[in-house]
Amino acid sequence: MAQAVKTEEYILEEEPYYLPTGKEIDIFESAYHNQIPVLLKGPTGCGKTRFMQYMAWKLGRPLITISCHDDLTASDLVGRYLVRGGETVWIDGPLTRAVKAGGFCYLDEIVEARKDTTVVIHPLADDRRILPIEKLGEILKAPPEFLMSISYNPGYQSVLKDLKQSTRQRFLAIDFTYPDKKLEKEVIMHETGIQDVIAEKLVNYAEKTRNLKDRGLIEGASTRLLIHAAKLISSGIEPRKACEVAITEPLTDDHEMLTALSELVSSIF
Amino acid sequence: MHGTDEDHIPHLKEDLIKNLRLDFFDDDEIEAVLRDLEYLDKRIRQKTLALCQTLSHASSSLVPKTLKRIKNASRFLTLREMDRWITQAFDTLDHQGVDHFLGFISRMDEESLWEFLMPKGLTLQEVAPVLETYVRGISGLALKLEPRAESYTDTATIYLPHFLNRYDERDRNFLLYKFIVVHKCAQISQGTLAPGPELLNTFIGDNWQPYPDIETFFRLFQEKDLAIDIYNILEAVRLEPFLEKELPGLMKEVPGLKKDFLKDRAPLSSLNGKSAFVESLYQFYLKGHTDEHASDTVRSVTERMSALGKEPSLHKSMEDLFSIYQTASSLEGSYHPRSHLLLLGVIKPEEVSLHLKEERRAHQKKLEGMITKLINMPSFEPQKTSSHKNIFTENMPDPAKEYLLIKGRVIELDHETKNIIEKRGGIPGGIIVNGSDIGGAGCPLTLNQLAEEEQVFEEVEGGILYDEWDYKRGGYKKSWCTLFEHTIHPVHEPFVELTLKRYSGYVNILRKKFELLKREPKIVRRQKEGDDIDIDATVEAFSDIRAGLSPNENFFTKYDRQERNFAVLFLLDMSGSTKGWVNEAEKASLVLMAEALEALGDRYAVYGFSGMTRNRCDYYCVKGFEDSYSDIVKKRISGITPKDYTRMGPPIRHSTRILKSVEARTKLFITLSDGKPEDYDTYKGNYGIEDTRKALMEAKQQGIHSFCITIDKEASSYLRYMYGEVNYIVIDDVKQLPNRITEIYRRLTT
Repeated sequence: MAQAVKTEEYILEEEPYYLPTGKEIDIFESAYHNQIPVLLKGPTGCGKTRFMQYMAWKLGRPLITISCHDDLTASDLVGRYLVRGGETVWIDGPLTRAVKAGGFCYLDEIVEARKDTTVVIHPLADDRRILPIEKLGEILKAPPEFLMSISYNPGYQSVLKDLKQSTRQRFLAIDFTYPDKKLEKEVIMHETGIQDVIAEKLVNYAEKTRNLKDRGLIEGASTRLLIHAAKLISSGIEPRKACEVAITEPLTDDHEMLTALSELVSSIF
Repeated sequence: MHGTDEDHIPHLKEDLIKNLRLDFFDDDEIEAVLRDLEYLDKRIRQKTLALCQTLSHASSSLVPKTLKRIKNASRFLTLREMDRWITQAFDTLDHQGVDHFLGFISRMDEESLWEFLMPKGLTLQEVAPVLETYVRGISGLALKLEPRAESYTDTATIYLPHFLNRYDERDRNFLLYKFIVVHKCAQISQGTLAPGPELLNTFIGDNWQPYPDIETFFRLFQEKDLAIDIYNILEAVRLEPFLEKELPGLMKEVPGLKKDFLKDRAPLSSLNGKSAFVESLYQFYLKGHTDEHASDTVRSVTERMSALGKEPSLHKSMEDLFSIYQTASSLEGSYHPRSHLLLLGVIKPEEVSLHLKEERRAHQKKLEGMITKLINMPSFEPQKTSSHKNIFTENMPDPAKEYLLIKGRVIELDHETKNIIEKRGGIPGGIIVNGSDIGGAGCPLTLNQLAEEEQVFEEVEGGILYDEWDYKRGGYKKSWCTLFEHTIHPVHEPFVELTLKRYSGYVNILRKKFELLKREPKIVRRQKEGDDIDIDATVEAFSDIRAGLSPNENFFTKYDRQERNFAVLFLLDMSGSTKGWVNEAEKASLVLMAEALEALGDRYAVYGFSGMTRNRCDYYCVKGFEDSYSDIVKKRISGITPKDYTRMGPPIRHSTRILKSVEARTKLFITLSDGKPEDYDTYKGNYGIEDTRKALMEAKQQGIHSFCITIDKEASSYLRYMYGEVNYIVIDDVKQLPNRITEIYRRLTT
């Protein structure tokens, strides 16, 4: 049975699986203790969101994730008045709730949000650590436990999707890349229970697609895609087919590139 | 292959003779026909005979004529191709009648025969794009593929047969191509072709060399060909486990290939001692085991090879080469390299060495150029240039090293520079001293650092002056470069029309795609006026009123056509190095881009640049922002020709200035170039890269988004640094540029 829990009360009980690739855990912890907001940079599917979950669990704070999109308004973040039975009721937005609960507020894919919306987080993300709620005429002071974090994929090449300097320069930035071969293999095996040999082949294939970044591919295969493929293989799908549907096809629509990729797959599997 | 079955021949022949006689052919004429038939290769004889027999039913007079044509065609086509050609002729006769048939067989020109050439096989040209991507994925290196009769690599290019028809099936031939390139990649990455100076010198021993390579190594062997072939096989055995681990899928197919190739090998009995020995090693590689009848010599060698396959090491492989070579050279006969195994190709030490030497030579040339400059340089008064001193103060002379003292400067000498100087017999006005003798006389510079200091050129009047960034001094050289604006002379060549024709299908799609972009409408919420009520906003406002707050007044949603407000400036590299394909592709890209942008309605300008030295930076206008895409612009596109050098800083700064004067919400600056910034003077290496980078950063500070498209086969690491984290793309196949650029633009602006 599905059970409803308020976002700001939802604390992960089980340890999410996360394999550190460097000092990111220490850095995040010390950012948390020093109340510095954190920017997670990196290509898609390399473990940014998982890292946030892990840190929320490790530090025992609720994690409020907001997926940004271009219709997200400031009220969507802060809150608004609603009418209920002839009365107006103030409803906190997720950002406000996160501040009140002293949780981790994670704005995923921040560049997707409109620029005027991102400005709302500015006073929270510098040393003031406040959230002005205009409509209530209040200022909310963030407790020490509150932490703001955003994620961003620098691989986007659209000029319209760049992060403003005034936003970037409030954050401490942790760069995420794909884990090295050995770690990535371990991640895949842990997530899917797949055999060592297959995991190694998947990682091998991923490496080869990453060699093609900026040379026909916008990005190489992410760890997430590898996990998808591994899951398919575990449930009995033939490995080449699994790679095709889980990795190759999602990467590109270019016919020639697809052919070259499937040649790579068949050379490895 | 088609029927070599001769059972039907007597019967067909009999029938043909009967028909010929009926049509009043005399004996001599019949004899001539039969002789012509006899003359044909037996593999196509039956089919030809059948054709003649069919024709003779209609009219015997067609027979001699047809035979003449067939004989003619056999001069251009191989047997297999002839077979297809005759089949096609037969089909034409069956389905379209005699007239079409006669038309078909009388077409002997190249174009008509073309479709019969190389049937069933696979050309490199066909698969090159996929294969190149494949190689890049596998190796992570930017290796080129080029056609050549034999397959080998010089570590920068992989040469492959331009056509493979070992198999009838395309897939099998492609598999063969894949294996060949993969094997070459392994030879490169695993050191077969460049074992490294230390390892080589352990074998070369007394004849120690500063730059030993595989060519020097093989000079140790009297019978070089013999040694190279043994090494090739040994290395193939050594690389096998590596390939099996890396590419198990491909390697699964290899035993099948090997088996097929084994069939092609001639029996050992026909060969002399040495050749038979090497052949038996080839066959061991193909079979994976030794023949029962193999001699003890062969057996002991193949055992060594098996051991190498189990514990692969380059050092061991080279050691084994010496001992196996010893065994081989004691055998009788002289070694004639027989048909090489296509799977392994050949190793060409001289080509590898040539490539390595070329690389080294380019480096040396650069050094020599610097030394020449050094001699022509004006004298230097150390006390006057304290600014330079500050930068290098930490760089004190090392007593153990040698330095060149010249015109008040202390230059650090590396091994190579010293060699060059010694070869020249010293430098006028300079002496070589030990570091210990210099004391505190000056701070040594490397040649590179020195070269990037400037020499004085005469100033040129007119033009626009731009600063240039000198990373050494961490500051700008004020008004250093002079830029001149020109308009490209229009050329009356139908380049634009031809390009549009060539890409006609694509242009239509392109226009449509870009038009869609324009009209991608969107509902925008919370507008002051609009087509519909924004329920969310209204409810919110209502609640605000109830709560006693002044509500927001934006209650409407609007169907917005999303006014695009872009201004884009394309800057084209017109340096001499773009001559040929790059220039053509740049121009074709412009044509397609113009089509797309005209459809989209974005404002755009096109400029080109080249020049020579800081005193002449040329900036060519093809189309300004205000110009329409008129005939004259089209003619200017035709007139874009490669000129001199690539000094990127000034044209970037000038483009920034132009873009600054344009009103647009988003300003885009796209450069198209083919490699490193480089000018005739010292605008090279790090200096050029740093200045270009700086100029791009300046543009960014002005709110201009830059995007650099580089057509660069080598695609070196400097690109990432020069262009910054995300703002560039490398296109290695120039022919893709026209298609790619429009896609890039679309992605950039949506």
